[in-house]
Amino acid sequence: MIIDHEVPENLQYQLEPKVLDEAVTNAKLALLNDIKRSIYLYRIDCGGCNGCEIEIFSTITPVFDAERFGILNTPSPRHADILVYTGAVTRTMRMPAIRAYEGAPDPKLVVAYGACGCTGGVFHDNYCVWGGADKLFPVDVYIPGCPPSPAQTVYGFAIALGLLGQKLHHTETMEEEGEQAPLRFADIPYKVRTAIEREARLMSGYRYGRDIADEFLEALEGEDADVYANISNLISQQTDPRRVEIYTDLRKRLQEMVVGPEQEQELLMRGLSKVVGAEGLGEQPTDEENPALSILQEASLGDALK
Amino acid sequence: MLKTLREILRTGNATAGYPFEPLERPTDARGKPEHDPVACIGCAACAVACPPNAIQMKIDVEAGTTTWSINYGRCVYCGRCEEICPLGAITLSKEFELAVMDKNDLEETSTYKLQACAECGRYYATAKEVDYATRLLSQNNGGLEAQQAADLTGYCPACKQKADAYRAKRRDETMRYRKPITSGGEPG
Repeated sequence: MIIDHEVPENLQYQLEPKVLDEAVTNAKLALLNDIKRSIYLYRIDCGGCNGCEIEIFSTITPVFDAERFGILNTPSPRHADILVYTGAVTRTMRMPAIRAYEGAPDPKLVVAYGACGCTGGVFHDNYCVWGGADKLFPVDVYIPGCPPSPAQTVYGFAIALGLLGQKLHHTETMEEEGEQAPLRFADIPYKVRTAIEREARLMSGYRYGRDIADEFLEALEGEDADVYANISNLISQQTDPRRVEIYTDLRKRLQEMVVGPEQEQELLMRGLSKVVGAEGLGEQPTDEENPALSILQEASLGDALK
Repeated sequence: MLKTLREILRTGNATAGYPFEPLERPTDARGKPEHDPVACIGCAACAVACPPNAIQMKIDVEAGTTTWSINYGRCVYCGRCEEICPLGAITLSKEFELAVMDKNDLEETSTYKLQACAECGRYYATAKEVDYATRLLSQNNGGLEAQQAADLTGYCPACKQKADAYRAKRRDETMRYRKPITSGGEPG
């Protein structure tokens, strides 16, 4: 710890958060109980990426218009009722942050804004970061988000002013006796399921690939015994040509994985597996009568399949 | 003046009704990650994937438990946990009203029991994960290899290695000269 004696003591390195004395706490409660004027807001960027600032701008501009609640952005901490700290609180911004806090008149509310302001966010273990406004000041409201959307910000300010109630609460759950995680798509062989999931994710990315694979596997598991009819039905319901393409590709992969009874035993020995008995499959559709292909051709995407 | 008024009337009100009326969120809006503690097997894939370490696993060897925790204050709502979860136990909901007065309220935890190895007694995974793997491998369509693996889920990786070595030692000599299977392709 380095102490520079030229600097006033309250501006020196001290990570003990500032403690409010009783008079200030009471004044704050009194203010919140009977607030009959606009709330002035001062924003301090303590080493953020400016994402939060952009969202604060969105909050005070017409679409979300925080000014209709009397929340006004002010250029000086001397006029501020709410101090909004954005950014992970870097070492160099500690002093400006403290100066703004000291500069604002009591009673004041402190808001830790964004993931960085709450806990340090992605920078929480960085060498030059204190990790959140609460390391320096008593924080009244935490607004998480990276960055918080304007609606989230409006909600946070409403919480700070006591207009709305808090929704999120600390929860702890314990594993119960005999608790089992459900097996997803238990009727479909594991290797077929993973092959379909991989292919879908390869075709359309992780997030949507999962949705597409789930829809496909649901169709595969459907009530009707005719698997290919279920899938063709699914494909004909699609309006997006790219989805049609992906489902058609998945069906092709499925057809490749289906084997006859003569190969079955041999493959089982190698730890591979079949989808369902060939008799349960119904007739495999040929490309000529494929409804998906006609949709593709209409959308002039037929070439993409070749 | 009239022109301006007409323009104002034509444009209507651009301001969102929130918070006086519910906010319409687009499909696939990324909000609070909702964790389903029953579907979760405590495999820690999400904790590995989480860029800001909002999701963490803490192992308590004394109690024989592991605790999954998420800190919404650190979460950047990227959805990597949702992508990676093998059971779909964590999904990003549209819930966005997450501001709190107390930092403690930003945290959610789930505790799972650990499974001790049947051979050496060391903890090596959560009991739910072992149970899930066993059921997955024992599906009647898994084949010989899967069945062999299912028999060994109760052992830690080190003991499994040992068991494999013993099995290789005991293996019948004729197996070594068995004709390799050539027909058929590997699926996937």
